[in-house]
Amino acid sequence: MRTDKFGRSGLVRTEPAGLNRWAGETDPRVIFRNIVQRPRHKTTGETVTIVGDHDPALLKYFDCTRSGPRSAFDSNVVFQFEIMEYILDFGFDRLGADGSQAGQIDHPILITECVCNPVHSRSKMAELLFETYGVPSVVPCLFHVVLKMHLFRAYGVDAAFSYKYNQQRGICDKDGLAICPGFTTTHVIPFIDGEPVYNGCCRTNIGGFHVTDYLKQILSLKYPHHMARFTWEKVEDLKMEHCYITPDYGSEARLFQKATKEAEEKTRCWQLPWVPPPIEALPSEEEIARKAAIKERQGQRLREMAEAKRSSRINELENELHGLEFLLKQLEQVEAEDIPSFLSETGYVSKLEIESAVVKVTQSLRKAKGEPKGEQADIEEKTDPASTEKFPLINVPDNILTAEQLKEKRRQLFLKTTSEGRQRAKQKRQEEELERERRNQEDEIKRLENPELYLEQLQAKYKELSEKVEQRKRLKTNGGHTNGNNVSGGVGRGERLNAAQRERMRLLTTAAFDRGKGEDTFGARDEDWQLYKLMSKDNDDDDDGPDEDEAELGRISSRLQEVDPTFVPKSEAGTSQPTEVPRLRPLTKEDFQIVLGVERFRCPEILFRPNWIGIDQAGLDEMAGVSIRRLPSKNQELEERLTSSIFMTGGSCLFPGISERLEAGIRMIRPCGSPIRVVKALDPILDAWRGASAYAASPHFLTQTFSKMDYYEKGEDWLRRYQFQYTI
Amino acid sequence: MEPEVIQAELVLPNHLSFKKIQMYEKYPKGQSRGRHWKHLKQIIQAENFQNYPPDESNYVNIESPPSMHPCKKICDITGYEAPYSDPRTNLRYASAEVFKTIRSLPNEYVQRYLAQRNAAVVLK
Repeated sequence: MRTDKFGRSGLVRTEPAGLNRWAGETDPRVIFRNIVQRPRHKTTGETVTIVGDHDPALLKYFDCTRSGPRSAFDSNVVFQFEIMEYILDFGFDRLGADGSQAGQIDHPILITECVCNPVHSRSKMAELLFETYGVPSVVPCLFHVVLKMHLFRAYGVDAAFSYKYNQQRGICDKDGLAICPGFTTTHVIPFIDGEPVYNGCCRTNIGGFHVTDYLKQILSLKYPHHMARFTWEKVEDLKMEHCYITPDYGSEARLFQKATKEAEEKTRCWQLPWVPPPIEALPSEEEIARKAAIKERQGQRLREMAEAKRSSRINELENELHGLEFLLKQLEQVEAEDIPSFLSETGYVSKLEIESAVVKVTQSLRKAKGEPKGEQADIEEKTDPASTEKFPLINVPDNILTAEQLKEKRRQLFLKTTSEGRQRAKQKRQEEELERERRNQEDEIKRLENPELYLEQLQAKYKELSEKVEQRKRLKTNGGHTNGNNVSGGVGRGERLNAAQRERMRLLTTAAFDRGKGEDTFGARDEDWQLYKLMSKDNDDDDDGPDEDEAELGRISSRLQEVDPTFVPKSEAGTSQPTEVPRLRPLTKEDFQIVLGVERFRCPEILFRPNWIGIDQAGLDEMAGVSIRRLPSKNQELEERLTSSIFMTGGSCLFPGISERLEAGIRMIRPCGSPIRVVKALDPILDAWRGASAYAASPHFLTQTFSKMDYYEKGEDWLRRYQFQYTI
Repeated sequence: MEPEVIQAELVLPNHLSFKKIQMYEKYPKGQSRGRHWKHLKQIIQAENFQNYPPDESNYVNIESPPSMHPCKKICDITGYEAPYSDPRTNLRYASAEVFKTIRSLPNEYVQRYLAQRNAAVVLK
């Protein structure tokens, strides 16, 4: 059965993403992605080899974490022949090489390679095929093929086969340009008289791989939460299904920018699986009532507890007070000289101390009973005039006092200054209050005169002040770096500190540097020591008391609240609010949608503009011009013949709109009026294989092959120059 | 090995009768092989293309030259035409809204956007 089908078969190798297949028929028998995985089997622990794509469900038995899928190709050149061997093994195995007589594949092999394949790759491949897969003199042939042949090899260029195949079918002429955007590279090959002209070839390192990778990157940057969804296979599918090439990128992008209806129609949406979160039912009336009751009960209990505590404390204090009063009464009866011995039992030192204790206890008792504080303050005030009596030692000169009295005097002095300070602060507060009152009254008069104008003025003032305060705050936290929303953008060392901190750093560094310089005179003068004060950390908060502006702002905002019911003061949280809102928002269906708009034509556009992804080379349309320029003979008639038969093949020319775009692009670089015709291969992916297959079946093929003997005798230079004749 | 794995013929057999040298003979188990292959860059270097006449086409000289067209600048975030570029992040942007978003981007994302067009800062 197989005999006729494999009459003269060839194994066709294609581009990295390509397919590996036997030849001789109209359609390949085996198609697989030439990638190799070497995972470890989970239960037995042995490393196995898996070639091509398989049901991902079966991969659960393997531990694929150590090694991902690997390719034998670097760019479009085979460089890992171990992987290549696995791929060939798999290919031959699947084609039914059962090998009843071991050790040989008795067929000429037709294998394709990239344009100007380095001889290293060529010879390694030849070696692999000759040495590993068979020797010429072995008798029985595999696949029941009657022909006994030595292993022959021939190299062909993929695109050439596709070109030939389509030429035979009248798609393109014998002179023409083949443009083949492949997986990792794009080639333009001019054909003259049906033979490729290598001098005119050009290659740009861009292809379908880059398009998919670009789409993958864009999507994962646009939707960082769904990054795990964008697997290579999925993105590849998205690319093949949705991407297209526009005739004019700029105008198409503007459509989307203006959010026109056309753009909306062109937008595709991929809905990720999403389950709406269960809607929480609002608590019923009873529930609310029940909760309120529980709360009320708890509050009641707390109140009771507090009350009990208070009464017990009052009790305690009263008892103490009684005790102290009793002690005082007893003291009155005791003789003056007996006082110390009497008191030694009670723990007090003097009568004075007992009296002060009495005052203290009465005060706390009053507090516990909940009498208003004002009264207490009044009392304090009342006692004030008597301060001289309270601090009797202050005006007594030191020399007539004993050591103990001196100590006492110092204490009294301290107490006096603090109480005076308090007094002053209080007075100031009162004055401020009065001032505020007065201004409020003034404002009120103004308001009554012209309410609208007043409101306007107030609001303007509020705005101005709040900005000022804000600015100040920012300066304080951000050290003059007012453009505050970019936290990450190159913030230098100086920018991070505020002015005071910077000054401190400067002092520290100068101090550190001064150490080594000559004679150290630090500390000789008193001012030197001021330095430490400046350096100390407490110096950092340069708060010069409560900010006047802030106080004014507070007054105005409270005033505004009174006057204008719609006024809402800007809270400090206001600035950080916008970032927090989306986090609190429950996730909706829209959060699980991947929207493809501009991306649909942005990604394949890199075939025409490789510098968008940092590849500084000409795009598809320019390559055609480059290729024509490189041709050795300048001949306008020939150039016209070439451009009137531009032929596209390869996986990446499947994007809709590519022919029109290419035609427009080439028209721009060709002289006016030159004939331009762009055609696509009948089947851009498989035509190369079909061409090769047809070629392998022709008798001319055998004259083109070379044997193992040729390979070893003629040397590397011959192999380098070896070129295949495509014309049959 | 699980029956369904065997049935799917997922795993490449170790011994293939049509081969002259088997994989396990070529690369015996447990022996560290080191790196026995060259990257494309090394292959190209070893080819010594400079020793051959320049009019003879080879893998290196068939590469396309840089584009002669002016590079259209597009917004790194949205893909629209970008008339502006941000001096701090070096990102190109199309409008004020996009500018706002790029200023709020963390540095890592800025670098990833730049890496798309091979303009990111690479520390070596």
